[in-house]
Amino acid sequence: MIKLKKAIILASSMFLSLTSYAQAKDVTIYGVSSESGAFANFGKQGSKGLKLAVDAADDAAGMKFNYSIIDSESNAGKAARKVKAAISKSDARYFIGSTLSSTALAVGKEVDKAGGIYINGSGADEITGTQCNKAMFRWSAPTYGAVNASLIPVLDLHPEIKRVYTITPDYVFGEAMLNNAKIILKKRGIELVGNSYHSLKEKEFSGYLSQAMATKADLLLVLNFGSLATNTLLQADSFGMKDKMQILLVWSSGLDHFRTLTPKVAEGIYFGSQYWHEDESPANKAFVALSREKLKETPNYPMAHYYQMTKLLIDSMNATKSADPDAIRKHLEGLEYDGLTGREFINAENHQVEKYFYLLQGKKASEMKDPDNYANIISKAKYFLPANETGCKM
Amino acid sequence: MSLYLFQILNGVGLGMIYFLMGVGLTIIFGMMNFVNFAHGAFYALGAYACYVVMSITGSFWAGLVLAPICIGILALGIEKVLVRRLYAVDHSIQILITIGVMMMIREGTLLIWGTVPKSIRVPELLAGIVAFDDFVYPVYRLFIVGVTALIGIGLWLLLEKTRFGMVIRAGSERPHMVALLGINIDKLFSMTFIGGVALAGVAGALIAPIRGVDAFMGVEALGIAFVVVVIGGMGSFSGALIGGLIVGLVQSFTSGFWPAGTNVMIYSVMALIIMFRPNGLLGRA
Repeated sequence: MIKLKKAIILASSMFLSLTSYAQAKDVTIYGVSSESGAFANFGKQGSKGLKLAVDAADDAAGMKFNYSIIDSESNAGKAARKVKAAISKSDARYFIGSTLSSTALAVGKEVDKAGGIYINGSGADEITGTQCNKAMFRWSAPTYGAVNASLIPVLDLHPEIKRVYTITPDYVFGEAMLNNAKIILKKRGIELVGNSYHSLKEKEFSGYLSQAMATKADLLLVLNFGSLATNTLLQADSFGMKDKMQILLVWSSGLDHFRTLTPKVAEGIYFGSQYWHEDESPANKAFVALSREKLKETPNYPMAHYYQMTKLLIDSMNATKSADPDAIRKHLEGLEYDGLTGREFINAENHQVEKYFYLLQGKKASEMKDPDNYANIISKAKYFLPANETGCKM
Repeated sequence: MSLYLFQILNGVGLGMIYFLMGVGLTIIFGMMNFVNFAHGAFYALGAYACYVVMSITGSFWAGLVLAPICIGILALGIEKVLVRRLYAVDHSIQILITIGVMMMIREGTLLIWGTVPKSIRVPELLAGIVAFDDFVYPVYRLFIVGVTALIGIGLWLLLEKTRFGMVIRAGSERPHMVALLGINIDKLFSMTFIGGVALAGVAGALIAPIRGVDAFMGVEALGIAFVVVVIGGMGSFSGALIGGLIVGLVQSFTSGFWPAGTNVMIYSVMALIIMFRPNGLLGRA
């Protein structure tokens, strides 16, 4: 009887210790995404990518991965407050994503103070430039890379382009896009014949488009994004501008933009893109297969970049067999790996992931090989400033 | 053709679009003294209804005809269940409840159609452009101007030249007196609400091919619709037309010399007008 009691006590204590070990190894990854507000379409897609990566990892290196979504409400201040609350109340340390650059910068500061890790995909150069910090990594190419990797090949393909008109959203991202475009145009001796700034709430672009037509521009360079870009292109198409000039949207949402615009509008237009599901890299093929199997859909850019950022974090925990943010950070710095766009490299000096950026051109509906084969890849390139020129000081 | 003439043409085109956004709102307010903050949501639903009908039938025209009918049927249900209980309450309560309706509709559209915006292709018949020297103007926008003008004339005739319109106008001034004359005032208000909301549905369906379809399009439309109604005068049909044209022209010209300030200019013009005419250009005290 005494032996039986001892055996029960021993078994119970073993079970309890095993349970507490498992609990100690639970890792929650916090996705910061616009689940509501003006950019909810982007955020909700992004969350799907994060969940896919966490579900695929399940548990690894003795750790059980969970996720929790923080709705940034497309508002930097609210996002930062919610992240701060998660850090203080839930001891959160691992954060992924943002939609707006202002959100990424605000969240990055909070995570840095808490000694965590934050991988995001926003565009402003400051994220891995003057406002970089040791907690913050960025997967997407910044505005510098996006403008260079899309505008240069278009100018190479069309030497007849001598006059360019730009349409720019009036905030930090748009200003960065415009400045980068100006540098390239100046180097090439191409005239910037006009620019229209617009607010982030703009829906009506006909006035700006008529200005562009009045200047007899050869290229309409669209520097906005999301639904702003959709409206710009829909209206440019209705004004017959595709017949009068080339059109380049530098920061497209990839597949989502093509689906929304339909091939009839997108045909012939150039689109810069951070991600394209038809890339032949092994990691991308595996991801597309996983997405089609689990979600029954072809992945778009928001899904892909949240997936890649989350996978990067989980893979680092696996590789280091640790959830210690310092160990993860050291592992990530200088890491080269098979990413969704091909071989990708993390610059240790400014935490910028140096990945490929695509230039796509919309296809005719009759040339599409499958329902998602909207575009041809015209080029794919990496353009990144040397870290010492970005102004980043860790 | 000079750029300025083009801006005038574009401004008139925009103005007619804004008139269409505002006219339903002003009819409901003017005739029923009811503030409908869900107007923008019905406008978005009109665009989605057109998208759905077009996806099923492949015909934009079917979408344009059926969308306002669908929205009108929805409005009938909402009026019977909710809105008719609010006619007698304070405006602040009407605003709070219709904002709730707006949020329910918006979240509903997100649940059903997801977060990715949709687009509606301009029908082939109206897909071309009209060239004026170096400038072009889309045929579809001219079509909107024409349809809106027809709707405007039809509404004016209905409200000003028919017995039905006379009863509605009398009902808006003296509802109890009209009821004493044996006219069913509840039915009259119900029809006015459905008509006003159906006009929002027409606007959504007509505008969808140039601005796309997304769950948040109603918020912007509501803002513009209120500016149009405030400038023209709450409840004034002609005021909505003048308000729409003023907003369209201000937007078109401002985009030429100060693109970032278009919204500022629109609201500044509104502020200027209500400083000198607090009830709007054609509004009654």
